[in-house]
Amino acid sequence: MHQTKTHAFEPKIVAFVCTWCTYAGADLAGTSRLQYPANTRVVKFPCTGRIDPVFILRAFQKGADGVLVSGCHPGDCHYMAGNFHARRRFAAFRALLDFIGVDLQRLQFSWVSAAEGGKWVEVATELTERVRQMGPMREFKELESEEQWSGVIDTPELKEAYNAI
Amino acid sequence: MTNTAQTIDLSLYAAVTEAVQAEARKVLEAGIVAAVVGWQAGRRKGTALPAIVTDPAKAKELIFSPACVNNLALYLTKAKKEIRAKGKIAIVAKGCDLKALVGLMGENQLKREDIHIIGVVCPGVQGANADRAQPLSETTIAGKCRECTVHTPEGADVTVGTLPQLPHFTPAESEELARLEAMTPAERWGFWKEHFSRCIRCYACRQVCPFCYCEQCLCDRNRPQAVESTPRPAGNMAWHIVRAMHLAGRCAGCAECERACPMDIPLNLLNRKMAKELKELYGFEAGFEVKEKGPLAQYREDDDQSFIK
Ligand code: SF4
Ligand code: SF4
Ligand code: SF4
Repeated sequence: MHQTKTHAFEPKIVAFVCTWCTYAGADLAGTSRLQYPANTRVVKFPCTGRIDPVFILRAFQKGADGVLVSGCHPGDCHYMAGNFHARRRFAAFRALLDFIGVDLQRLQFSWVSAAEGGKWVEVATELTERVRQMGPMREFKELESEEQWSGVIDTPELKEAYNAI
Repeated sequence: MTNTAQTIDLSLYAAVTEAVQAEARKVLEAGIVAAVVGWQAGRRKGTALPAIVTDPAKAKELIFSPACVNNLALYLTKAKKEIRAKGKIAIVAKGCDLKALVGLMGENQLKREDIHIIGVVCPGVQGANADRAQPLSETTIAGKCRECTVHTPEGADVTVGTLPQLPHFTPAESEELARLEAMTPAERWGFWKEHFSRCIRCYACRQVCPFCYCEQCLCDRNRPQAVESTPRPAGNMAWHIVRAMHLAGRCAGCAECERACPMDIPLNLLNRKMAKELKELYGFEAGFEVKEKGPLAQYREDDDQSFIK
């Protein structure tokens, strides 16, 4: 009998976390031996305020299927207001990505404190499972593999200039 | 003939030109300013280019016409230090340019007392690809001017001209924005991908923007490199996202970036979208009053966080 081999898709999730709350929370999940999918790669930052939207972009470009950004709950920031600033920046960035045509389901923000090992597990599992359902993030990868300038010469002036070369 | 595009009465421009010249002469002669930044006629008929006048006798070279497209606020930023070094400067500004000046003041790039603003009432300027021999009408006017809300600038030291009755133009940019918003994300991705992959990364959009005054642009850094500098589709997408993000809440909507773009990429659509989002989210509009902090440089404890788990 013929058997079809299915290639299991394993999502790559990049998590940008702040060192003071979420990183400690993820650490707690580990020391408490809580189980969660091994798809998450954690990158530690001093503060969510340091997480430039360009990092999220870079993660998608370099192969992430989902991105998680997590820091301290409002009011608990080690630097007082880093997460408040980050919150506005991310709200704007989400709107921009949405307008460009990126599915926001792949991008999750959360507040996870140092005591919330369980919440970390929950957030990381939920995003991983959701992205698993959605399949690979193709858009950025496809762009990445397009080596050539793929512009269409669509104005008469440009066509003329091009033909004159 | 049917469907004649209504044209704009050009007599205002001549009157404004005269008033600008008189004001420039006056402030230069009185020694109030060291230089006037304005526009002068270009060599080809129907064109104009930026001019910096220091001699009162040369004030008569200044003009205002539908070809005065440039946002002169650019000449007062850090990127053009040599001009500011002259002393107090007078600048001729249309309503949309004044918004850029106001934004720069909010960002501590300019001090109100260091500049003398000659506001000009402006019915509109020519679009980037318009035939300059044609009169100013719905077909030749810049997209931003079709739905301008600042024809008469406010808060200038002097404002010259009186706005004539203007024809009603369809707000093409807003309509296009609404069309995009109604698309599915995949369609929008396709739309932008097509446009961005045409980008040649000449950075004209950056050089012409009064708010792109960083002495080193993130996009020029290569250690570490956040955004690829070669015009590959992936790097282009990143460049455009970074550009729109860095201008969110700051952009004055002068549409100079879009005008300067040789590849006809509709950059002002992105600018408009971000301005609209920040207005909806934080009730912020750039460029109408000098504000110490833009929407992304401040916060409120009760800001929306429904998207955060
Ligand atoms: S947007 Fe308004 S002020 Fe600016 S050039 Fe157009 S009509 Fe003039
Ligand atoms: S981004 Fe474009 S429209 Fe906005 S201020 Fe800069 S040049 Fe003007
Ligand atoms: S001006 Fe146009 S082609 Fe040049 S970098 Fe900007 S968007 Fe790209």
